[in-house]
Order: sequence, then structure tokens, then C-alpha cells
Amino acid sequence: MADRTYDDVTQVPVDDTEDIDRTEVRSYWQLARRRFVRHRLAVIGAITLAVLIVAAAVVPLVVENATGVSISKSFAPAEIVDDEGNLVLALLGYSRTGINMFTQLMAATATSLMIGFAAVLIIVFIGVVIGAVAGYAGGWVDNVLMRVVDIALSMPGLFIIIAFVAFWGASIWTIILAIGITGWTTAARLVRAEFLSLREADYVQAARALGASPRRIILRHMLPPALAPIIVAASLGVADSVVLEAALSFLGFGIGAEQASLGTLLNVAFEYLNREPYLVLFPSIVLILIVLAANFLGDGMRDALDPRQRVEQQ
Amino acid sequence: MLTYIIRRIILAIPILLGVAIISFLLVYLAPGDPLAQFRVPNVRPEVLDRLAEIYGFNKPLPEQFIGWITNYVQVWNPDAWGLSITYRRPVLELIAERTPATLLLMGSSLALTIIIAIPLGMLAAVRQYSWADKIVTTFATIGYAMPSFVLGTFLLYIGAIWFRIFPFGGMTSSLRTESDPLDIAWHLALPVASLAIQSIAGWSRYIRASMLEVLHQDYIRTAKAKGLSANRVNFRHALRNALIPVVTLFGLSLPALIAGAVITETIFSWPGLGSFGVNAIGQRDYPVIMAFVLLGGIAVVIGNLVADIMYGVVDPRIKY
Repeated sequence: MADRTYDDVTQVPVDDTEDIDRTEVRSYWQLARRRFVRHRLAVIGAITLAVLIVAAAVVPLVVENATGVSISKSFAPAEIVDDEGNLVLALLGYSRTGINMFTQLMAATATSLMIGFAAVLIIVFIGVVIGAVAGYAGGWVDNVLMRVVDIALSMPGLFIIIAFVAFWGASIWTIILAIGITGWTTAARLVRAEFLSLREADYVQAARALGASPRRIILRHMLPPALAPIIVAASLGVADSVVLEAALSFLGFGIGAEQASLGTLLNVAFEYLNREPYLVLFPSIVLILIVLAANFLGDGMRDALDPRQRVEQQ
Repeated sequence: MLTYIIRRIILAIPILLGVAIISFLLVYLAPGDPLAQFRVPNVRPEVLDRLAEIYGFNKPLPEQFIGWITNYVQVWNPDAWGLSITYRRPVLELIAERTPATLLLMGSSLALTIIIAIPLGMLAAVRQYSWADKIVTTFATIGYAMPSFVLGTFLLYIGAIWFRIFPFGGMTSSLRTESDPLDIAWHLALPVASLAIQSIAGWSRYIRASMLEVLHQDYIRTAKAKGLSANRVNFRHALRNALIPVVTLFGLSLPALIAGAVITETIFSWPGLGSFGVNAIGQRDYPVIMAFVLLGGIAVVIGNLVADIMYGVVDPRIKY
């Protein structure tokens, strides 16, 4: 044997240790964050959504009379501070009836996003409960619940939502409920698939053998690994719900002008398409931004939360 | 094959029954009294009771449902699906009247989608990361993110208001031109463009991904290695297999073919099933609403069946 030097600790020849991966051990969430940050579009999407949420929440609060009509301001140009020195943030000027178009847009964005997020909460809740029960129980329970999913998938979704809201009266809450109780099928299927594969996993069997209750097994052992697809589905669900609500309001079945959403603004703009076409522009742009941002965010999280995706060594 | 189809149809019955139950409950549980218009002071209570008896409102819920669904099965009888409250005519007849317009609209957009999306998706996959690929992918992403009512409104403004080339809506200019194919095609252009742009965006993404997957397989390398021309490899070897998953897309778009595009038809006042259904909700035309929901369910079941059968036809590895 030639004169090779050996590492003190590992007893591996020193010239071979070059190959050892010396990257420090990182937790699943650290790795996920690292993968997410690499996904440029996902980061842009997250920032866009964050800016929209903050602007939608703050702008209507700091400006007085954010959605009010004042005929004296009809077609007034853009201004940030009005003649009396009040903060008005009228970045897009005023409409024919003197509505501050920027603050109105932000208030509508707030309504749209609120409905989107609330509907997703219902979607995730129903989806997780049904998917978890079906996947954990298996057998005839799974069979029955999956037939219920088939039935829900066979219904004309938008049509049911319109009918439900039209019959029960259009309010934020009926709209959230209608979108929530029709949109849970994807989440349920994802959770079920994850649970079916985890059900026979060794560590779950071990937990069962140790006498853990089904409740504990589901909540502590099976739900956390199933979280990744749920988070992705939820972020895509926000986009879908915002668009569904906008479609509803666009068709004239949504909330009235008192709490306008982006769809309501588009509905009004559509009536004036001939004379004031620019009214369509900004609600459309915000809507497209929300959808794009939520989709990129979802794509990025799908890659980030997948433990099979590697992070390159540095 | 035949036994497979029959088995699938039998399996579809409980699903359709579920759709029927939900559609029934949707209307039954809605707040409001079906006899409200008769509850005026000079109508005697006995008359109201009699009316409730005629319409079956005093029967228990399951019995009302069974009565309704047994009527529904008798499609050979034009009155089977009840009378529309708005039009005072059989629902089945009204649906039959509006079906051709929807089939024309959705059929043209589906045909246009297939003609354009397959070459686009293929181009993007064969020249991956090239400029062509980037343009197609960007277009697909934006088209996918654009809600149908935003796209429809933009097209309506550009085509009908800005350039004044296309009509503002409807299917014909006047009663005189009712069966003039050129006039109908002229009215068809904007709504078809609006529907097609969206589905081309979705389809070309899908075809690109499917094609890329096939192009990385061993038999493609073999085909290239034995000296076949690029065209022959791309079209004869790769495309045929890349199109197998597309058949699923086709089946999934069939329900829309029948139920119509609710939003696009409403924007362009296209006299098809979609706008008919939405108007029925606005007018609380319950028989039409229930028929529409059930029709949607039937369309989905048929679409899935067609997709599965076609999947077996294009992919010989699948046996029933």
C-alpha cells in the first residue's frame, strides 16, 4: 500500500473525500423554500399576489369615500392629493359619475380576493374531510364517497352556482358557499389518493399497532405528508374561485354595486363598452394578474414541495 | 367492446340518478312558495289545496321526486320534461330548437382548436426552447389565464366596435337571412374565435408536454439512428403516440359541446343552450333549469364514455 493519508474521523483516504457531499443537512421545509426561490416565475407570482392583497386591503381604508360618487369630479384627471389636501390616490382618474377609479378597483379586488380565499377554505375543508375518510376507510365507504365525487363532477358547475346564488339571494356568503360546495372534488381526490398510498405504509402500520386512534393517525401521521398536494390545489383554487365569482357577477347574478367585485366592475363596463371602453381594461388586468400569479405560485409550490426534486449542491 | 359499453351505461345510471336528485333538491329547497301567485285574499283556501293536489305539492318529497323522474324518462313524449313557465311550451321542444346553434358554435370552435393546436403544440415540442416554443408557451399561458368573459369582451370591442367588421351579437342579421350560411358564418366569427383561443391555449400546452414525453423515448432515438428523416420521425412515430392523451381532452370537451358555453353565448347573444339556461335562471323557469342540469350530467357521462372508447381505439395496448 502506498503512502495514503487518511481522514482522522472517517478513516476514508483523503483524496477520495472530494466526492463526499458536504452540504449541511437541511430540513424538508428549508429545502422546499430553496427550491421555491429558484422558481423565478413562482417568486414573481408570490410577490404580485402579496402586493395586490396589501393594496386591496390598505387603499380603501386610507382613502375616504373610496367607492363613492361625486358628480363634480366627473372625468377629472388623475391626482394623488385633492384640492383640499386629502389623500385620494386617484391614480387612474375619475369616471363619468366621478368615481375614483383606482380606489374603486382596489376595493373590488379586496372583495374578489376575500371571496376567493374564503371559498378555498371551504373547498379545502370539505375536500380534506371527504378525501381523508375515503382514503383511510377504503372499502365501501371509499366506493360510496367516490361515487358522490363522480356525481359532483357530472354537474354543470357554473350553472349550479348561478342557480344557487339566484335562488338564495346574492350575498358574499351565498357566493362563497356556492363556490365552496361545488369545487371540492379535486381536493378530495388528491387527499384520497395520498391517503390510500399512505394507509399501508410501515410507519402508519406501526402507529396503528401501537394503538393510536384513527383520529391521531389521520391528523398526526397521514395529513402532514398529504399537505403538499393540498397546498398546490388551494393556490390554484384561489384563481378558479376568483374567476368563478367574477363570471357570476359579470352575468349579473353576483353582489350588487354596494360591494362590487372585479366581475361587477366588468359587468358595468360591458354596458358602456361602446362609449367608455377603457373601463373594461383595469378590472381585466387585475383579474388576469391574479390568475397568472396564483397559477405560477401553484406550479412553483408543486415543484418545491415535491421531495423527489433535488436541490443542486453548492 | 359491446359488453364494456353496456356495463359503462349501467354504471352511469346511479350517477345520473344522483345528478337528478341534486337538481331536484336545488329547486325544491330554494326559498319561495310555488303557489305564491295564487295566495291573494279572494282565492279560497280550498282552491289552493286543490292546486297543491294537482301539482303534487302536498305529497311527500320522495313521492314528488319519483313522479318527476318517471316523467323524465319518457323522452318520446314531447311533454315529458314539463312546460316552460316563461314560454308556455314543452321544455323538450325548446331545448331541441336551441341545440343546433350550440352544436354549430361549439363544433366549429372544436374543429378550429384541433386544426391549430396540434401543429402549434408539435412545433413547440420539436423545437423546444426555440423562439417558436417561447411564443407558443407565452401565448398558451396568457390565453389560459384569461377568463372567457374578459377575452369575449376584448374581441367584441376590437371586432364589433373598433374595426366595425363583425356584428355585435346574435346569429343572423334579420329574419330574411335566417338560413344564409355566409351571414351565419359572419356572426359566428367572434364567438368561435373567443372559444377557440382559450381551448387552443389549453390544448397546445397539453400537446407540447405529451409530444416532449414521447420524443424522449428510446424508439424515437432508434428511428433517428436508422436514418429516417426528421419529418417521418416526428409525424409517423412521435405524433401518433403523442395524440393518445389528446383523445381524453376531446372527450372532456364533449359536455361543453352539448351544454354550450354559458358565458360566451351570453356575451355574443348567441341563441344556443347556454344563454337559454342562464336566462331560465333569471326568470326562475324551474322546469327548464332542472332539464338543463340533467342534460349537463348526461353530456358529461357520454363524454367520458366516448373518451374511454376512443382511448381504446387509438391505443391497441388497452383491452376492455
